Amino acid sequence: MATTLFTASASIKKAVMLINDMDVNRFPLLLSRILQKLHLKEERTFSEEEEEKLQTAFGFSSNDLDLVLETLEFILQQAAYHTAKPAVLGEQLKQLEMNDDKVEKIVEAWTNGARNLVQKLKERTVHPNQLEEVKWRLNLQMAQASQSKVKRPNALFQLSVRDDSSGKKENIRLEFTHEELYEFYNQLETIQKQLDSLS
Amino acid sequence: MSIVQVKGGGGGAVGLERTSFVGARVPPEIRAMIKPLSKLDKTAFKKILKVIASEIQGIEQSFQDLQPLLGGALTEDVLATVYCGLDDLVRRALKLPSSSLKKENFLQDLQDLQIPEGFHEDLVAMVVGPKRPLIDSHLEDRRPRLPSLENLSWRADVAISTGVLNRVLVRGVTMEMTLSDGSIKDFEMTVSKFQELRFHVASVLSEMEKLEKHSILKIKD
Repeated sequence: MATTLFTASASIKKAVMLINDMDVNRFPLLLSRILQKLHLKEERTFSEEEEEKLQTAFGFSSNDLDLVLETLEFILQQAAYHTAKPAVLGEQLKQLEMNDDKVEKIVEAWTNGARNLVQKLKERTVHPNQLEEVKWRLNLQMAQASQSKVKRPNALFQLSVRDDSSGKKENIRLEFTHEELYEFYNQLETIQKQLDSLS
Repeated sequence: MSIVQVKGGGGGAVGLERTSFVGARVPPEIRAMIKPLSKLDKTAFKKILKVIASEIQGIEQSFQDLQPLLGGALTEDVLATVYCGLDDLVRRALKLPSSSLKKENFLQDLQDLQIPEGFHEDLVAMVVGPKRPLIDSHLEDRRPRLPSLENLSWRADVAISTGVLNRVLVRGVTMEMTLSDGSIKDFEMTVSKFQELRFHVASVLSEMEKLEKHSILKIKD
């Protein structure tokens, strides 16, 4: 038995009625934009300007448009959460008494956009700091104030870490001697073994 | 004005021009110390050298350590001159790797500088003796550098489910790096980014090994 994606609450019923009245020709574009933006945490799907245009285009009041957009987003979010099969999605939308033409468009948009969306959602993490880039430089130290004729190899690493929530980028700069780098390498090998056992 | 001239190897290799470890011209600090040094007694010398050695190894010394030496001919001025000259001499000797400064050459240079023979033994012990590696390691530790990785705490896990996706099953690595400057950096990475990091570290290691085998490092100077 497939999971129930939606319960027929009062607001969903109202939204379905409004959706059924919409002009089906402009529907696909609306859906593809929603799908595009669904994985982003903070961003609005439509700008205020665009929302005003949509209100006019579909003849909706501001509240009605909000309800329609929210419901469509919710439908697609639920489909994504459960990685629903298109057929199942279609079935359940019909159960909500959505018209066939709209159901068809939603299922089509979902079929085309599901893989991409789920992949993006998989990449979303809770930890804000993400390692983005690794750069390095190998040096040979020749001397210092207290020592001449040194010839000491050392490696500089720059790890770029991006804070997802603030968007800020931090560069962590480290220096390793041969021994220090070898120790780090061994730690990475241990991590790799753990990862291998997790796959 | 008296000029101290350093002559090239008396009993050394014939025809080979060798520069003294203090340089082509005797530094003024060393020049100034020669005369008072010749009048210094051995215990005072040993004490001063000991203070210099501790200072170089990072153990802070205070004037009180040398104060008891004062008295009679050894005034504060004389002590200061001798201390500065000896300090400069020792540091210049330690600047050259032990493979560069041979014992015979060092002794020859000390002689040319007119350092009293009785003091040679202690100076040689410091520069080519068993304590030398310790001094070198301390000088190496005090070099200017970027922070090192003091501690690495890490975690490999699988994200099972999130608020937006019921079945995620994606592996990830979380790291917490404690650096030598005290800062703590924590961050996460995808498995592919981790592989990239691992690849880079391995590449640098292999480059380092190649470098160490390179002929430039084999030049004996």
